[in-house]
Amino acid sequence: MSDGGQAPGVGGGPPGDSWTKRLFRLREEPPYYVRILLGVSSVGLLLLVWGGMTSGDIPEHRAISPAVLPSLGETAQSLPRLFGERGLIASIAASLTRVFLGFGLACVIGIPFGMLAGAWRPLNAFVTPLVIFGRNIPIAALIPLTLMWFGIDETQKVMFLFIATVPFVFSSAASAVVAIHQRYVETAQTLGASSWQVFRKVLAPLALPQVFTDQRQLFGLAFGYIMLAELVNAKRGLGFLIQMSQKRSQPEDILMILVIIGLLAWLIDKTLSWFQRGLFPYRRDL
Amino acid sequence: MSEDAPVPFKDADALIKEIDAAAKADPPPAAPDRDAAPPAPEVTVVAAGGEAPAPAAAPSGRPAIVEFKHVTKTYGDGPKAFTAIKDVHFRIEDIPGKGEFICVLGPSGCGKSTVLRLIAGLGPQHPPTTGEVLVDGRPVVGPGADRGMVFQDYTSFDHMTVEDNVAFGLACRGVGKAERIGQAHGWIDKVGLSVKNDARKYPHQLSGGMRQRVAIARTLILSPRIILMDEPFGALDPSTRMQMQDNLVALWRDLEATVFFVTHSIEEAVYLGDRVHILSSSPGTLLREITVPPPDRPAHAMQRDPRFLEYVFDIRDTIETLEASRRAGDD
Ligand SMILES: Nc1ncnc2c1ncn2[C@@H]1O[C@H](COP(=O)(O)OP(=O)(O)O)[C@@H](O)[C@H]1O
Ligand SMILES: [Mg+2]
Repeated sequence: MSDGGQAPGVGGGPPGDSWTKRLFRLREEPPYYVRILLGVSSVGLLLLVWGGMTSGDIPEHRAISPAVLPSLGETAQSLPRLFGERGLIASIAASLTRVFLGFGLACVIGIPFGMLAGAWRPLNAFVTPLVIFGRNIPIAALIPLTLMWFGIDETQKVMFLFIATVPFVFSSAASAVVAIHQRYVETAQTLGASSWQVFRKVLAPLALPQVFTDQRQLFGLAFGYIMLAELVNAKRGLGFLIQMSQKRSQPEDILMILVIIGLLAWLIDKTLSWFQRGLFPYRRDL
Repeated sequence: MSEDAPVPFKDADALIKEIDAAAKADPPPAAPDRDAAPPAPEVTVVAAGGEAPAPAAAPSGRPAIVEFKHVTKTYGDGPKAFTAIKDVHFRIEDIPGKGEFICVLGPSGCGKSTVLRLIAGLGPQHPPTTGEVLVDGRPVVGPGADRGMVFQDYTSFDHMTVEDNVAFGLACRGVGKAERIGQAHGWIDKVGLSVKNDARKYPHQLSGGMRQRVAIARTLILSPRIILMDEPFGALDPSTRMQMQDNLVALWRDLEATVFFVTHSIEEAVYLGDRVHILSSSPGTLLREITVPPPDRPAHAMQRDPRFLEYVFDIRDTIETLEASRRAGDD
């Protein structure tokens, strides 16, 4: 980490610089362990602030009352209860199943149609008003509506997610195809490819990595939405669990569930990103 | 470097004489005399827009391989209308068993790509606003594998390995996997890449020059009658560029294809071409067609030959004179 007596490079470029200078270099990714360290320290900082605000032997000594923000210890103690009597695993399974079904359906329908619409723009023009409408529906209005249309069972949750996410999936897939440089199409055409061959062999595969990246992000959206749906008329699910915790005045349960949701989302994203790298070896930037 | 001294090619003089004879006995241009009034270039000259002289080797009723009939391309209309090329008129004969290598020279923005894309049938350049673009006597209606195109950038299908890139056109024709990969390997080798090391690589693992080799192989594997190349070596460093020129010359000899090669390097045009088409600055018109000796030595040797340089200087002077008189005419 020391300068090692090397002459500084012109313009502060080469690795002879001190590590502080290197931290501030534009667009340069720090080494793996530095990245981990930085990430851990942001979480650590949050915990530190949290711990500080909730320290004190008796509630009156705390900066924030335990009814508002429980201490770290109290939050950790909710773990056995959550896994035990409150059935956290079953709720996680219920929520994830709904997301996979609802968002999965949105992908199965939205991605092919979106990609086709990106390639055949009249189709895009035809669907665009619906998509804009769909992306701007107040999500809160969709819950009562889907309850009336699909009842109070799983179908309602899945369809709610589908309707809420399919416009986003569609337009992300369409833009990914639109963004592919026309040169690729022209090259394929001068090599004798038919329109369908250009789509299938060039446009679609070139757009897929971006489509995949977009769906990774939208998955987060879907995961957030499902808890919303679970606030109403649900018997299982993370949203339901959170709502019950509120009714029982157990903020430490809510916090713990949020931590677990965060970990879960991170784990799923890592898995997807691992798949993505395997699926698209030609994109070294993923 | 020392062995790069201008070693006269053994038969250079004989060859050039032969070529000159073939080029309707045009003598090589005299050393340019910058003080004298601009000499009329002593080469085959076709006035733009004028009636092209009866083609020298007009074969019995064969349609021209490429013909532009007073082609004008205007983008947009009303006050925003912009004319990219104006009244471009020329004819490239279909000489049996041998294609011609046409280099298109001109300042940037003069409409070189427009001319190429009109032949390729690519929009929005295609179709022309007025005039006709004929290939083999028939109007161009759209792109096709008979007119291969090599671009300067975005040339590789990034999701395919080198061999799949090269085999792309064959795959579109429905050629079986083993057969097309076999052919692709042949072409990977011909363009100077290594089947063993490069065939399974993805484009992002290749240098710019290697990618252009892939693009050339991918086009030539389909044996197109016409090969359109839009500044294919424009982004390459000079020495890679010369290697690519040599490779292209060697490949083209076996091809019997007509090549349109756009460049703004006069050296490149004179080296590669049988003929150089000079376009004026925007709106592009065809100012001159100049016959030049075809390459008979590796690029680095030929491009330092004084005779070669005479051609280069002469064309440079011609362009300057033509541009000057055109500007004078405009005022
Ligand atoms: N689609 C287009 N719309 C409007 N102007 C265009 C379009 N394409 C090209 N041009 C203009 O036509 C002129 C010729 O373009 P181009 O053939 O690409 O020139 P070159 O290849 O010689 O550099 C340029 O001035 C360019 O700006
Ligand atoms: Mg151009």
